[in-house]
Parts: sequence; structure tokens; C-alpha cells
Amino acid sequence: MTIASFDQVEFGDELPSFTPDTGLENVRRFAKAAQMMAKRFTDHEGARKEGLPGAMVPGVMSQAILTAMIHRWAPEAALVKIDTIFRAPVMVDEAHEVNGVVTDLDEETKTAEIDLTITNGAGETRVLGTATVRLP
Amino acid sequence: MEIEELRKQFLKLNFDTAEFRVDGDDIVGFSVACGETASRYTDASDPDFQAPPTFPARFHGRRMLPSDLPLEGKIPLDAGKAVMPQKAIRAGTKLVGKSYLNEIYEKTGRSGRMIFLVSRMELFDEAEDLACIVDSRMVVRERPAE
Amino acid sequence: MILDLHSHSIVSDDGRAKVPNYCQWIRKKDLPLDGFVLTEHRKFDFDSDYSALATEFDLTILKASEVETEYGHVLVFGVTRALTEAFDFSDIGLPLAKVLEESERHGAVAVPCHPGRTRVGMCAHVESLGIPAGVSIVEVFNGGSRGTEDDAARALAETQGYRGIGGSDAHIVSHIGRCATAFPGAIGTEAELVEALQAGEFEAKSWKSKSSESSS
Repeated sequence: MTIASFDQVEFGDELPSFTPDTGLENVRRFAKAAQMMAKRFTDHEGARKEGLPGAMVPGVMSQAILTAMIHRWAPEAALVKIDTIFRAPVMVDEAHEVNGVVTDLDEETKTAEIDLTITNGAGETRVLGTATVRLP
Repeated sequence: MEIEELRKQFLKLNFDTAEFRVDGDDIVGFSVACGETASRYTDASDPDFQAPPTFPARFHGRRMLPSDLPLEGKIPLDAGKAVMPQKAIRAGTKLVGKSYLNEIYEKTGRSGRMIFLVSRMELFDEAEDLACIVDSRMVVRERPAE
Repeated sequence: MILDLHSHSIVSDDGRAKVPNYCQWIRKKDLPLDGFVLTEHRKFDFDSDYSALATEFDLTILKASEVETEYGHVLVFGVTRALTEAFDFSDIGLPLAKVLEESERHGAVAVPCHPGRTRVGMCAHVESLGIPAGVSIVEVFNGGSRGTEDDAARALAETQGYRGIGGSDAHIVSHIGRCATAFPGAIGTEAELVEALQAGEFEAKSWKSKSSESSS
């Protein structure tokens, strides 16, 4: 179910989670559009040469994936602020899950605060953050 | 690196001004790769076509940090980003990004002593309206022996 | 009584949770918690008063600190103004011996947290610095632990005969209560928490996976 207005949102609501495309081809597509064609993002071998375990999803992409989750949940939500902490690398070609839950509501400003996480297959939080969105 | 000294020398002082042109194809590529499904982000023919709100986080000025910041050869890593959109950014818009260090602090983490440098970029559009604020939290890690 | 002994609010530089929202979350999600302790990084929050919130939500809300030593991070329960004057809480290189000694002298309890974590956990420093004297409790379940970090913490506790506590290390609202500590009696104040920790009768709990784990 998508959210059309502030009145439809309740504290504790979970946003529909989704599995982002963190495959190498898609990350390359992102990197090209974002002009971030560094090998640590686009090439496993190049990333390993830099001492990394493999290519990583750029932090900017992780953040935009979280924002996309918000838009899928509430298409008309206007992002007031998103603040993400990159705790550990989101590795390219590994499965991750994106989650969000509503943790605060302000009726006066019609804003909702959302906890955001990206977790890997082991259930480890790799990216966490919060967003404030204004709803109609 | 002494934190208080760094704060005195560098906080709130503009260290970079750069111009960026917002490209429609880049908006579409960025949006689709990240899983956006709304046509206002993914379809250049949508009458409300615009950059997704975190798109400005991809802009980098000529330098990420003040050129005379004493990093002693250490490479700052991306530790987090905050984006505060102020108005819709359309394809073709020319943005001017002005950067300054907004916060400097230290802590210890899984990688030893870490110095956090929060670089704030304020992006203005052609009407000189503030279009977006992007905070980039960068971490400089010191080796354990230091 | 079950308390989450390790959490952060927006008072910490990397905390993103507001305390009222922790309370709402606990009640809305019907978490098996009777309260939580705010362990703000490198400081003690003398300013905030959560007593009204505690009453409103029928929760125990206590305050403590997380400081940084050469053995990693350490939770300090029972912080007093005199203790904050005994050493600089904002110093990221405090000697653990001093933290333990001053805590004891001021009626507080110091507990190394996430000992299995690289760099900021005690296990990483035992080989080079030796087993520190004076530690009697460590955090064996931490909500932010990755991989085998909690296993390493439990192994350390077992080999050294330490008691174990649990805490979520929550920095966002929805992470509160992932780990906690069960006590046999009621705790309503920081002094009662110190007393309960000193008594040694408690059990660490984890709800990180589907099945609940526990370790005393």
C-alpha cells in the first residue's frame, strides 16, 4: 500500500522493504551517471588492488536507494532531510535489504521521521540513518 | 592533528566554489540505478522531471577539503552524508556549490583514532536561491601506533 | 526487570534517536523492556531530565556514559559530578586503570563494552597490553556487533570469569532493545543500578536473532 497523506501514517509503520540492485552492472550505471567511475566502485579486481575486499556500492548510491524506498512508500513525500552513516561497506554483488520504519510524527508540520537501514545477508547493519519527510 | 587548532584555523571558512551543470541523462541513470520508479525522476519527458532529492550529493568541488589542511598523507574516507533539499532541481540548471568545514571532531572506532571532518556544500541555482545543502562526513583514520 | 544498558540519543554526536521516541517505540512494539540507560559518548548528560517521560511511559530511564580508553570503549554507570571531575570524559585515550579506579572510588561501575570489536573492544588489546586488573563485568551482547564479535566477548568473559551484561548500542529508535540485561529486582535510580551490578545477579539477553539468547 502506498501512502497518499500524513493521516495514513502511524508511528511504528514499516515501509515496504526491497532488495536493491547492487550488481556490478547496475553500480557501473550509477557510477557513470554520478561521475564516480573509480575502480573501487566499478571493478572487483581494481578494488582489491586498493586493499578492499571487492568493489563497494558508493555511499551516495546507498543513500539514494534509501530515498527510493521512501518514494515507493509515499510517492508524494517531500524529503526534508536525510542523514546516513556509512558504518561498513555495502559490497557489490552481495544481497542487501533496505528497511525503514516510522519513528516520529509531527502533526503540526505533517512530517514523519523514518529510521533507515541497509543490512547484508548476515543481518549486519552496513548503512543506517534517518530521514524527515513532509507529507500532503 | 590537534582538534582545537584545526577548528580555529578551518571552521566556517569557504575553501571552494565550483559550478555544476545538471544533466538530464545523469538524472535518469542515477534514479533508475537506485530503484526510483516515479516518472518525475526517471522520465525526461515528464512535465515535472527533476533530480531525485539526494542527487546533489554526487557533486564534488575542485577539492573536498581545504588544500592546506594538514592530513599528513592520510586519505579521508566517506563516513556519511546528510542532504537537505531546499527546492526542486531541474535538468539544465547550473548550480554553484560553496564549501566550508562545518564541524571537526574526534573519536575512536573500529579503525583506531578517527578525526571527523564535516564539509558542507551549499548549492545555489541561477536565481541565487539555495537549492540544496549537502554535508559530507569524512573520516581520517590514524594508525594505531600514532 | 529488564533494562537495555547501552543506548545513545541525539545528545551523542552520532546518535539520531530522540528519547521520547525510544519510549514510544518500546510501548508500540511491546518490547520486553522495563527501561533503558542512555550512555552518551564521551560525556555525561547532566542537563536532560527524563523523569516526566519515565512516568508517562512507565519506564525506567537512567543516564550513564561511554568513555574511550586504551582498551576500547567503557560504559560507566553511576556517574556523579565528582567523577566527571576525576578524569576528562571527552579524552579519547583514557587509561582504563584510571577509569576503573576512579569509578570505584566514586561509587560507580565501569564495564568494557563490545569487547569483541576490533580496536574499540578489549579483546583486541589484551595480547599487547595484558589482561587489565579490576574488570569484573563486560558487555557480552551488543546490538551493533558484527560477525563473531559477541562470541569473542562471551569467550573473554568465560575465560576471565567476568559477569556479562547486554545492551543494544542503539543510535536510532528502532534499534532499542535488541540486547538487554535482566535483573532479579526493581531498579529505579542510577544508584540502584550500580548496586544491582555490584551484586552480580544479572543475565545478558539478546533478541538480535529470531531465537532469544542469554548469558549470565
